[in-house]
Amino acid sequence: MIRTAVVVAVSVLAIACGHDRGTPRVRPLPVGDGSPALRGGGPPRSPRNANYKIEARLDVVRHEIVATQTLTWTNTGGSAVDTLPFHLYLNGFKNESTVFMRSGRGSMRGEVASSTGWGWIQVHSVKIAGAELVHTLTYTGGDETVATLPLAAPLAPGGTIQVAFEFTAQLPEVFARTGYKGEFHIVGQWFPKIGVRVGPPGAERWECRPFHVHTEFFADFGVYDVAVTVPNTYVVAATGVLASATEAPGGTRTFTYHAEDVHDFAWMADPYMDVMSGQAKVEDGTVEVRVLYRPEHKAFARRHLEAGVGAIEKFSAAFIPYPWPIMTIVDPPTDAVYGAGGMEYPTFVTTGGDSVFVRPGLRLPEYVTVHEVGHNWFQGMLASNEALEAWLDEGVNEWADGRVMADLYGARASGIDWMGWQAEVGELRRAYGTDPASMPVPIAAAAFAFVDSDAYASATYEKTARALATLEQTVGPMKFGAAMKVYAREWAFKHPTGRDLFDVLSRELGEDLTWFFVPVFQEVGGIDLAIRSAACRLAHPPRGVFGEGSAKKTVSETDAKETGTYVCEVVVTNTGAVHVPVDIALEFADGSSQRVRWDDRGRGTWERFVVERSTQLVEVWIDPERKLALAQPVLHRYRLEGDGAASLRAAAWIGSLGQTLMQIVGP
Amino acid sequence: MAGMTYRGVGGFADMIGAGLRSLSRYTGTLFAVFFVQSMIAAACTIGVAIVLVQAFSHLPMFDEAVDGQLVAMLWVVGHARGTFVAVGGVVFAALVLWQLAAWFLVGGLYGVLAERPETRSDTARCFGANGAATYLAYARLAVCSLPGWALVLTVFGTCHGMVSARIDHALSIGELLGPLAFALVPALALLHLFWTVSDYARVELTLRHGTHDPGVLATYLRTLAFVARRPLTLIHGGMGWVFFLLVTAAYAYLARGHSMYGAEGAVTLFVARQGVSLMRMAIHVAVMAGQVELGRTRPLPPRRVEAKAQENS
Repeated sequence: MIRTAVVVAVSVLAIACGHDRGTPRVRPLPVGDGSPALRGGGPPRSPRNANYKIEARLDVVRHEIVATQTLTWTNTGGSAVDTLPFHLYLNGFKNESTVFMRSGRGSMRGEVASSTGWGWIQVHSVKIAGAELVHTLTYTGGDETVATLPLAAPLAPGGTIQVAFEFTAQLPEVFARTGYKGEFHIVGQWFPKIGVRVGPPGAERWECRPFHVHTEFFADFGVYDVAVTVPNTYVVAATGVLASATEAPGGTRTFTYHAEDVHDFAWMADPYMDVMSGQAKVEDGTVEVRVLYRPEHKAFARRHLEAGVGAIEKFSAAFIPYPWPIMTIVDPPTDAVYGAGGMEYPTFVTTGGDSVFVRPGLRLPEYVTVHEVGHNWFQGMLASNEALEAWLDEGVNEWADGRVMADLYGARASGIDWMGWQAEVGELRRAYGTDPASMPVPIAAAAFAFVDSDAYASATYEKTARALATLEQTVGPMKFGAAMKVYAREWAFKHPTGRDLFDVLSRELGEDLTWFFVPVFQEVGGIDLAIRSAACRLAHPPRGVFGEGSAKKTVSETDAKETGTYVCEVVVTNTGAVHVPVDIALEFADGSSQRVRWDDRGRGTWERFVVERSTQLVEVWIDPERKLALAQPVLHRYRLEGDGAASLRAAAWIGSLGQTLMQIVGP
Repeated sequence: MAGMTYRGVGGFADMIGAGLRSLSRYTGTLFAVFFVQSMIAAACTIGVAIVLVQAFSHLPMFDEAVDGQLVAMLWVVGHARGTFVAVGGVVFAALVLWQLAAWFLVGGLYGVLAERPETRSDTARCFGANGAATYLAYARLAVCSLPGWALVLTVFGTCHGMVSARIDHALSIGELLGPLAFALVPALALLHLFWTVSDYARVELTLRHGTHDPGVLATYLRTLAFVARRPLTLIHGGMGWVFFLLVTAAYAYLARGHSMYGAEGAVTLFVARQGVSLMRMAIHVAVMAGQVELGRTRPLPPRRVEAKAQENS
């Protein structure tokens, strides 16, 4: 028996252990993509005032990048500039005292930062016109994630300056979108990146804030020429198109990428990745969609590819055609996915959601891909400030994702279509998510002003998406979709703000929507509709004493008999901060129904509806089409007479389950 | 070689045969125990129904949830978490009640299977007498078995901790099965071992309480050694669980896609579920009969009754 037990234990242990990947092999030298950085070439789409030329070498053992960088920056504002601030994002992972670590308490999205794999960036040299200025760099903002360089002479409006850097970037053990895990390297937020001038012409100021756990990124558009050198066993993918790949000394290779009209550059290096690709058709050509994955992810890579191709096509049709020739989707290894997965960069995103438990039909991997690809519109092209208005890309994108998922997989099954279960992705998100009314911070708060990550995520992603879906259903999906398309086309390759979105929507929808935008985006609370009372009584002419003196007349029950009809009275309340027009369906005992409408736009907190019918009211249903995504619908449908049939069925099932448990613990 | 020290044959065929004989001979006893269990389950059902009716009878969204609409389920559970906690409390109370009743019922069953009474009245008398006589001993046995359950939990926690990352990161069924087996099999094997030890200790306490009055802790430890030396005990009990799972799985498979609405559906569902429960209880009783058959072959425990009598004299 002992021998058998040992054999079984060893076998199980062997099965439980991971597989050895073996020594990485030298990959064939890739050829360049051979296509312009913008699909079909053409003129610049953006001001291109922040252009970077970077040469970087990755040490895959020390997970360290040694690089030189030349920034060519043009002052496109109306005021002179006397300092240049730079983001040094990697210093957010330098120690536990950084703004990032303090604001996130050392974790992000449930993933805790490694206590051994810290990340940092050290600038060794900063030169302008050959003069070394590194000693004049000062850290501003509470940690070392923003460094400011004073200029010897102010840079006038329209002037251009070149700044040369030498720096070393130590990647952290993968965390918060960047770092390494084993041989896998995802390299984001890794180079000194200049801030953005914002504000009215002539009175601009720098927007360059310390790296906070809730704030993502904000940068000017430009042209990136980046050469990365890695061992020749590594596969590389990056923002833009591969201009060339050449062998380099010491068993390394240099991959040179070129990207235009982008505001960031990220890349990935890994010795085990494979690639699969497909073509997305957009109105003026095709886009090559590539998925990089490790072999064990192949089945999921197919799902990501299908979703990626579909997303490019649907977002292009709904808003503005994808302007670049390639979209790269990286499916990170499972042990790196919490840190590296689900992040967007121009033309380059990381995805996630791969798990044995996510069977085909459970569309989490597809959703992650659609969401990240969608960010190439909402932030990639419409480059809003993610520190001050995170909702403007995350929330708007989340709303758009729902539409794209419905287009791709069908409205009823866009979230789940598995084992006979179906669910729409937006409905699923709402049912699973937090009640908007319970969020303590309004949507339109700066990302760093949220009380915690849950409040940030709930308001920024979920409540914004629900708000836009509510407005969409209130004004009509076609009309709203057209207005959003105008917004995308007007503000692509610029820095839109929330005000710009509201202005476009009000203009295109032909209505001053202040009544909606102010409470929804600037106030705390949601829609809190409920049925306060609903009852019927038999109708009859008025009874009592009428008139005076000799004309006084008493009308009794005999005089004023019941008419045989019912007077039904329903009182609906909305104690939430948001008031929108709502339909109410009244269902009667004879099967007939009647619609009433409460055209509430902030004018009241309750409304009484009185109807007279030949049969009794049996059910009241607020918002029967579930247009009001901001509301919690459980109490919206109310039947006047209780019906315990469903409760009994559920109880019988639970009782049966209980009996099964009894038979497990006893005979 | 160890088996040579035991009296009688006590083979697998004898155990199976004893199980089948007991089902045909003591069908009424089986029904009586099943009736008690069904009553507790029915009380649990009524309690749950009252809680649910109070919360949801006016809300049609609950009907949608019961009909299997996933989003409605999420809404309803999110809206009324307290209600579902209360439902859990009712089920837990029913399980505790059953556990307390089961000590008496199992004692009675083992007594009947051991003494093999002929008539109905003898069977009833035997059942009641043994149930009452062994009740407190079974309760003490439950306390003695607590370290075993703690060990099961510890083993599960340790094994799961060792492979939890691999389970989280599994991409295919093949990748999942190894770590899952590593996490579950040792704990399940230990659970089965301690469960079997408890069963045979109960048999011993029932068989010998009148003649030897064995101590509970000593019986538990002796039974642990007995079960460790006789893998047959584990195989026999394991087969019972396999049949139990097969019946449950067969029912789940056949019931899939049959919602059984309305009064007729409800009756059909009730009959089907009770039939499945009865079959599973029959499997348990057959296993118990086999355990009694093998339990008879164990060496007799020290005669504590005589020792006590001598002390008194």
